[in-house]
Amino acid sequence: MELILKNVTASYGREKVLDDVNLTIGEGETVFVGGRNGSGKTTLLRVMSGLMDYEGSVMAAGEEISNIKRRNAARLIALMPQTGETYFQYTVYQTVLLGRFARSKGVFGNFGEEDKEAAKVAMENCGVYEYRDRLLNELSVGQLQRVLLARTFAQGTPFLFLDEPGSNLDVKYRAELCDYLCKWAENKTSTPYGEVKNTIVAVFHDLGQARSVCGRTVFLKNGKVVADGQSSSVITPECLESVYDFDVAGYIERQII
Amino acid sequence: MALSLAVCLFILLVAIRAGSVYISLPDLFKIIGSHITGRPLPAEVDPMSDSIFWTIRTPRAITAFLVGGCLSVSGAVMQAVLQNPLASSYTLGVSSGASLGAAFVLLCGLTVSGISGFMLPLAGFVFGLLTVAAAMLLASRIDRNVSNQTIVLIGMILSLFVTGILNFMMTFYSDRSKQLWLWMTGSFSARNWTHSAILTVVGAVCFVLLMMLSGRLDILTFGELQASSMGVEVKKTKIIAILICSLLTGVSVAFAGVIGFIDLAAPHIVRRIFGPSHKIVIPMSFIYGGAFMALCDLAARTLLSPREIPVGAVTALVGAPFFAYVFFTKGRRIA
Repeated sequence: MELILKNVTASYGREKVLDDVNLTIGEGETVFVGGRNGSGKTTLLRVMSGLMDYEGSVMAAGEEISNIKRRNAARLIALMPQTGETYFQYTVYQTVLLGRFARSKGVFGNFGEEDKEAAKVAMENCGVYEYRDRLLNELSVGQLQRVLLARTFAQGTPFLFLDEPGSNLDVKYRAELCDYLCKWAENKTSTPYGEVKNTIVAVFHDLGQARSVCGRTVFLKNGKVVADGQSSSVITPECLESVYDFDVAGYIERQII
Repeated sequence: MALSLAVCLFILLVAIRAGSVYISLPDLFKIIGSHITGRPLPAEVDPMSDSIFWTIRTPRAITAFLVGGCLSVSGAVMQAVLQNPLASSYTLGVSSGASLGAAFVLLCGLTVSGISGFMLPLAGFVFGLLTVAAAMLLASRIDRNVSNQTIVLIGMILSLFVTGILNFMMTFYSDRSKQLWLWMTGSFSARNWTHSAILTVVGAVCFVLLMMLSGRLDILTFGELQASSMGVEVKKTKIIAILICSLLTGVSVAFAGVIGFIDLAAPHIVRRIFGPSHKIVIPMSFIYGGAFMALCDLAARTLLSPREIPVGAVTALVGAPFFAYVFFTKGRRIA
């Protein structure tokens, strides 16, 4: 199964954020989306998940994504947002379990044993199981981010879209996250559309993290795709400088360690 | 939960028993028992107290309970849907619309023959819902995504506009506006079994529908983008939930006038005690809001007896300090 974007344009009000993007995400790929702030990375993830209006076409499972029922789409694609706060005080466990909504059963949307088990596994994998009964406002920013990650995994989809999943994590959790993502990407997930190889599309600002997880790199600049290919051949000093308008390679060399 | 139910039954019983006419507890049980089982009233019970308690006080207490419950449930759901802890059943203008409807009946003498007795609640109900419908329509015209800020803003503006019309009318009919003022501050006097029955049916249907939406409501509190990515049809859910809430509020306002505060406060108190999950918040808001309203009505009719205080004034006067107490002293999960 592929995700195919053709001539996709998206805007917030009059501000065009994605400009004529053509992109195909193949099943089983691990794709790093990079670029400067405001280059359209988050918007690209939202459009690809069918959460935002767009012009052009985004096809998933042979259907235009805006026509797929949200419940089915949510069993295909899970998007981890950058932040996720709520005024109401849910516990960690309640929050992660909500990720199973698309699989809940009956008119009252009950969660079965397998949903509870999936939430538990996701919490364990993201290191939040030990504080499953804490309220969200009792967590640090990094802990909250891991809760959101757990909820995204609990959704149990083959397509995982991550928007800066490691931005607030300490260095140990970052490394563990990368290892876990690499391992996860080797598996398959069953969906209403059949078995699909796990696929990751992720925005990172840490290039090392990006390279360790993603085999393919897509760079955005002003809403357009300016580079796309194997990470090892795209992430070069010249390319980085043109994408970020800055001598990235030189900066990294100057950093300690 | 069972404890809450027991407490609420006890409050209902107190609300029925207390008043200027005394009745012994066994007699009260005999009256209620005989009506429920259909057996004739035991001879030792005074038929006079039967009529006071069965045809006046019981339906009044039950109507108060149901109105409190409906308003609280609707407030809880509105807060979740609009992701706004300050939202209430009245955010979209049900109250001002209903007041305008009542004004047409009370001030202009608008009536339809045959249902004149029900003209006031009917007009209140219809105008309340019309205002919400107008607010939703306007909001969806202005903002294609029907965002919460738009809904709240339009609701407020429309509400103020309708209140403006109302004030304008009241200056023209100042001789009759006392009656309208009484209606607007809310009362449960002279409510009968028909009122209770209608409220029970509407309340039960809406309650079941909202319970079916409870999972979606939980997810919606995390924001529409996340809700959508987790599989909720956001726009549809929002519109359906708002309509159900308006129906609950509309029918409550129609039978009791505009009674504020409970719909705002009860859900917050319930969340403090039981957590925010809507599978629990919805039924508990009903029970707590209902019990609180029954108590407030009891206070309204007994404190300055034989005069009656508008129950809307009591809910806020008693409720605000209580709300502050619960909110600042009790942590979550005390039950």
